[in-house]
Amino acid sequence: MRINCSNRTSLKGRSMKAAILIQRWYRRYVAHLEMRRRYTWNIFQSIEYAGEQDQLQLSSFFSFMLDNVTQMNGNGPDLISHLLDSVVDPLTEEVRQLKYEQIVVSESYSGPRLSFPLSVTDTNALLSAFKEEQTLHGKYVLQLLYETKKFLKQMPNVIYLSTSYAKEITICGDLHGSLDDLLLIFYKNGLPSAENPYIFNGDFVDRGKKSTEIIIILFAFLLLYPDHMHLNRGNHEDHIMNLRYGFTKEVMQKYKTHGREILQLLQDVFSLLPLATVIDNKVLIVHGGISDKTDLDFLSTVERHKVVPFLDSFVSLEPPEPPREELEWQQVVDILWSDPKNQNGCSLNSFRGGGCYFGPDVTQALLQKHDLCLLIRSHECKQEGYELCHNGQVITIFSASNYYEEGSNRGAYIKLGPELVPRFFQYQVSRSTRKLTLHQRVRVAEGSALRALKEKLYAQRSELMAAFQQYDIDNTGRISTSEWAQVVESVLRLDLPWRTLRPRLARLSADGNVEYGSCFEDISPGEPIPPVTPNLAETLYRYRTDLEIIFNIIDKDHSGQISIEEFRQTWKLFTSHLGVAVNDQTIDDMARSIDFNKDGSIDFNEFLEAFRVVHKLDVKEQQQG
Amino acid sequence: MAPKKKEEPKPVAAPKPPEPEPPKEPEFNPAEVKDAFQLFDRTPTNEMKITYAQCGDLIRALGQNPTNAEVMHVLGKPKAEEMQVKMLDFDQFLPIHQHICKAKDRGTFEDFVEGLRVFDKEGNGTVMGAELRHVLATLGEKMKEDEVEQLMAGQEDANGCINYEAFVKHIMAG
Repeated sequence: MRINCSNRTSLKGRSMKAAILIQRWYRRYVAHLEMRRRYTWNIFQSIEYAGEQDQLQLSSFFSFMLDNVTQMNGNGPDLISHLLDSVVDPLTEEVRQLKYEQIVVSESYSGPRLSFPLSVTDTNALLSAFKEEQTLHGKYVLQLLYETKKFLKQMPNVIYLSTSYAKEITICGDLHGSLDDLLLIFYKNGLPSAENPYIFNGDFVDRGKKSTEIIIILFAFLLLYPDHMHLNRGNHEDHIMNLRYGFTKEVMQKYKTHGREILQLLQDVFSLLPLATVIDNKVLIVHGGISDKTDLDFLSTVERHKVVPFLDSFVSLEPPEPPREELEWQQVVDILWSDPKNQNGCSLNSFRGGGCYFGPDVTQALLQKHDLCLLIRSHECKQEGYELCHNGQVITIFSASNYYEEGSNRGAYIKLGPELVPRFFQYQVSRSTRKLTLHQRVRVAEGSALRALKEKLYAQRSELMAAFQQYDIDNTGRISTSEWAQVVESVLRLDLPWRTLRPRLARLSADGNVEYGSCFEDISPGEPIPPVTPNLAETLYRYRTDLEIIFNIIDKDHSGQISIEEFRQTWKLFTSHLGVAVNDQTIDDMARSIDFNKDGSIDFNEFLEAFRVVHKLDVKEQQQG
Repeated sequence: MAPKKKEEPKPVAAPKPPEPEPPKEPEFNPAEVKDAFQLFDRTPTNEMKITYAQCGDLIRALGQNPTNAEVMHVLGKPKAEEMQVKMLDFDQFLPIHQHICKAKDRGTFEDFVEGLRVFDKEGNGTVMGAELRHVLATLGEKMKEDEVEQLMAGQEDANGCINYEAFVKHIMAG
């Protein structure tokens, strides 16, 4: 203690000493909390991007399927075309419009009834209805989408706007199905109108539960104020992404009769969304980012509705495309998927599986080339809802608050006036009426992140155990912290502070070494040390998202049921692709155990619950075998 | 060699598994410090450097609790304007951290409770929230109002009193 009064025993001296002691402890508490917050954030981000990388896995499976048509015992071509053909609707445009008009809406429907062309009454009715958790009737959804498609067809790829006719333009980032955030923005900033123009920068759907409501509102305003409402396409405005990340499921659940047709129309509408917006010839707005190949003039000439931005390019049955089409595909993918990085240069974005990492020099070059001064993009979640980089030349704007978890981040939007200086507005939707303390928020987010991380550990259990055991020659069940950290990092390939995280993931033994089996404990309680060979349950766990997508594709009518035969076929194919040897009997046993009501079809909405049954079956097998 | 004893007891009632372990003991190996160092590195090109201003936070995140004065002393008494500008790389940070670790005993759970007891006028195990706020914001290495608020959030009962043993455990657990 370097304060003179520490030697005095007066009351003042003791108070001072006590105050300092408390303050010291408090500062330590805060620093520790900050560290927990930071690594929680790192966990969420690295898992999110690693998940998106799994798309590559899926596409390689499709290629494999195409290559192995002959191995499907005569059911081949049917299953493949069944899987890959989109719904073909031979109706012409006029006939379709008539068909929608003729859909009868029952008297008992109490939701909004839209009339085209839309008016403010309609948009107000929609907003009120959605606040009351009502669903818009399928007829109006179809009509709305149809009108939107017609409208978007005549829009260019790059839209040029001016601030001269309005005070300020509001720019919003990813919403990802969070209706609460959209309503909060409208509440704080006002509804779109001629005096209050908006740009929404992509990723309106997926992950959140109200993606349908969001696009209905956005498209309605688009039709109502075509000159003052602008939507850019995001990487999630794509039907394969929607299959994986929840939008397709949401539509099918809310629209049992018309769902398939709605999805078909949505596919068209998404592919027609413009790719970029430019304000005052100075500010470029795209969803993902740019690359060193980006050229706005070339981009303007691309036939955007023909370019499928991601997966389908792998699935094409045609001969290799001519160079021009490949270039077009490249340009669009770069716009929708790229992320900025801090180092100079432009490298392939292996994390996402598409697009680039672009450095400050790439930004500088592009801005200079087109005489721009600022790039606004979204695509990445940011703690404060926005972030500047590349010396202020790039702004990331993200509008879905609490994206990872309650309290994880704020959302934000930008207001840009004629002087082109951005103003930022932040917000956070909070479901609880009581304000959570910082400590509680960190705790909740951290718990969620750690659970996700533990699931990842479990999914790669056998590889991890094999690697651990290489260090543990005497089979003690323990290895040093460094060895543990090294193994986990190399197997999971997630760049995280493993040593700092170790106390939350694995136990220490009395001698200070890590009991490596303990990192699998919370997921499967009461398990003996698991066997090393990859078993069925683990494979299922690891690939469950992919499986869900494949099953969704098989289940053409999205009824939630597939036949046991279809299930068996696909599962066989999938496991042979992965190189996992599973015999027919095991598959049949599994299929039968899942078909609880023995009616010959599987309800795979509960399939993922069922894999726990499988696990038990498996364990029994191990014990008997 | 700094004593190896744990500085505080584990939280008594862990509401759910796993409660965070109390901050680590003074003996570190550099690899563990490096992990935390990287978390605080905010340089645009990931140069493994932190500012002088972050140094205190990092040392605290690693489990020590020096006063601000001690941090400034070990950094060589930099001027205020240098704090955000001057940088430390990992090799410069490590000896600083070790120096703080070796400093004489930091005080235990009991010392902390003793400190709070100074403000326990009635000797009944509680302190007045208002008085504590005043003291923390005006004496010693003053805290800012929002820092005080953050610390005290949810701690005061209906009469504005804080049971300080519970308070101490709350701080220890973080």
